[in-house]
Amino acid sequence: MRRYGYLFEQLVRRELRQKYKGSFVGVLWYLVNPLVLMAIYGVMLGPLLKAVSQSDYPIFILVGLLVWLFFAQSLTAASTSLVDQQALITKVAFPRETIPAAAVVVQLVPFFVMLVVLVPISLGIRGNATAWLLLLPVVIVCLFALTLGFSLIAAALHAYFRDVQPIINAALLPWFFVSGVLFDLATLPGLRSHAWLRPLLRWVNPIAPFVSAFRALIYGGRFPGVATIVYVAAVGAGALALGVGVFRRLSPELAVVI
Amino acid sequence: MQRGEIVLEDAWRSFSPRGDRGRTLKELLTSLGGRGGRGGELPPTHALAGVTLRVAPGETLGIVGRNGAGKTSTLRVLAGIIPLQRGRAACGGRVATLIDLASGFGREFSGRENIHVSAALHGMTRAEVESRIGGIIEFSELGHFIDAPIKTYSSGMLVRLGFSIAAHLDSDVLLIDEVLAVGDEAFQRKCLRHIRRKIEEGVTVVLVSHAPGTIEAACRRVVVLDSGRVVFDGPTAEALRFYHRMLGAEDATQAAAREARDGAVRLREAALQDGDGRPRQVFAPGEPVRVVLDLEARADAGDVTLALDVRRADGQTVFRSRAPVPTSGGGGRLVFEIPRLALLGGDYDLPIGIHEPGDTAPGIDRLLSFSVTSSDEAEGIADLRGTWTFSGAPVEVGP
Repeated sequence: MRRYGYLFEQLVRRELRQKYKGSFVGVLWYLVNPLVLMAIYGVMLGPLLKAVSQSDYPIFILVGLLVWLFFAQSLTAASTSLVDQQALITKVAFPRETIPAAAVVVQLVPFFVMLVVLVPISLGIRGNATAWLLLLPVVIVCLFALTLGFSLIAAALHAYFRDVQPIINAALLPWFFVSGVLFDLATLPGLRSHAWLRPLLRWVNPIAPFVSAFRALIYGGRFPGVATIVYVAAVGAGALALGVGVFRRLSPELAVVI
Repeated sequence: MQRGEIVLEDAWRSFSPRGDRGRTLKELLTSLGGRGGRGGELPPTHALAGVTLRVAPGETLGIVGRNGAGKTSTLRVLAGIIPLQRGRAACGGRVATLIDLASGFGREFSGRENIHVSAALHGMTRAEVESRIGGIIEFSELGHFIDAPIKTYSSGMLVRLGFSIAAHLDSDVLLIDEVLAVGDEAFQRKCLRHIRRKIEEGVTVVLVSHAPGTIEAACRRVVVLDSGRVVFDGPTAEALRFYHRMLGAEDATQAAAREARDGAVRLREAALQDGDGRPRQVFAPGEPVRVVLDLEARADAGDVTLALDVRRADGQTVFRSRAPVPTSGGGGRLVFEIPRLALLGGDYDLPIGIHEPGDTAPGIDRLLSFSVTSSDEAEGIADLRGTWTFSGAPVEVGP
């Protein structure tokens, strides 16, 4: 397995070079997508619809997008990764997990580019740098574990069952709206008359606690709460364990089904 | 398990003929719950049906068989690409797999960049790739094209690149699938020389090929597969003879209608022999060959004409000869003697037809096949080897 470290590195590099090859603004493109989304949602839901009245709403949205885009884009890229690399899988035996894992690691680049730009701006504007920020690396590791776990499952299932990718694509948009990227799930006005929905919204969707943890640290400058941190760690580890388990189970036959 | 040893024990592997597209999510979930769970109306095809095979370190094994006989599946099982459903497969030490050499490259990237990915895919580390990349590029003879994107390469160039990478892998076991059938002949020769060198170094080689000539040149032992079973396992010459007989038996059934026409003259036995009268299927260029035909004639038989062709694997007739045979006096042994086989490496068919007066459509009564080994001294199809002199002094013809 260690022997394949260089393969992993090569797959990541190849993907990165392919992605923004020939575009001369290069890495800046990583910021365009979240900024456009932020501008549209910020203007529509804020001043126009007056649905959300968060202070520094653009930063509020960007923190959510940071988490969501990493998760969603990793899942999208990983789900087709094995099928895209069919030629490699049918000709050599190598650890198949390197392919979806490389697809997820590639998404870390836009994630960190955005993080490096966003955190100083948020701290500067909101002036709430606290020691809790030290928790950020822990939460990032948990998010990576969650995303890798989901991506391994999606990639292996898609190789067997080509409807998985379209299903994921169809699910991502509604999923985005219930993940609390654009508003705080805990304080939605409608929840006052439907209180039973509150725990469902907050805890059933695995990505929602991650959004709120990142937001507490970067935007709120406060501790996300013991429940959220425990949830994030447990779900991250659980998803990764499940992902590895499912992948191990399905991967031996990949060269046959793909 | 020793380095370079290969073991297949009662290996079973079948494939669902419907492939993956017919798989439903439900089936998938049941197979997650427990082993098996493959349903479907069509019976699965057995690619390996109880194959047992043991290859000693340093041995060279050829695998021949018709399309779908399980040759490639066997190789993929040994390479660890496809798992077995029953039985055991193991290779000792590092395994290098040469399958589909021209595929799997990133089309947008240069040959050099692809060397890194491809070598890493075979388990090379950064240090190994960096120390060998010079040798790989040199072996490939791609010159400055190595820095051009792969999408500009011809298929021959892709194979050159693929083989050059594979040639520089450290391995105890080398698994090769048909790869020598592509690319230009000079490079094929170079690859074959390289494989021979690996064999001399003591690497275990398993070679799958449709071309008996290649197998004959590289392997000392051959396994004949048919419908996923080992039907012959033994020394190369015997195995190839067995294989040709197996194929010949099929061609004979194709010609059955003709044999059933019940001609007055019949071909009882047809065989190829070497100069000493021993049966042979594989010859070296320049060797003597005898075609021995035993003819049976009924009392009412007249004279016939015997037609003998030599055809290349692509169907091109290289040679044709007809002989009037006075069979009105009864049967006998007809011998066609070729003092010097003027053919170079390749696989050839030798159809034989008996034409009686009044036959409208000449047919084939028997189809023999033979292979000619390739020679380092010459390329092409005809053996026109001669002598070179320079200012009167003889010139050595090298490989």
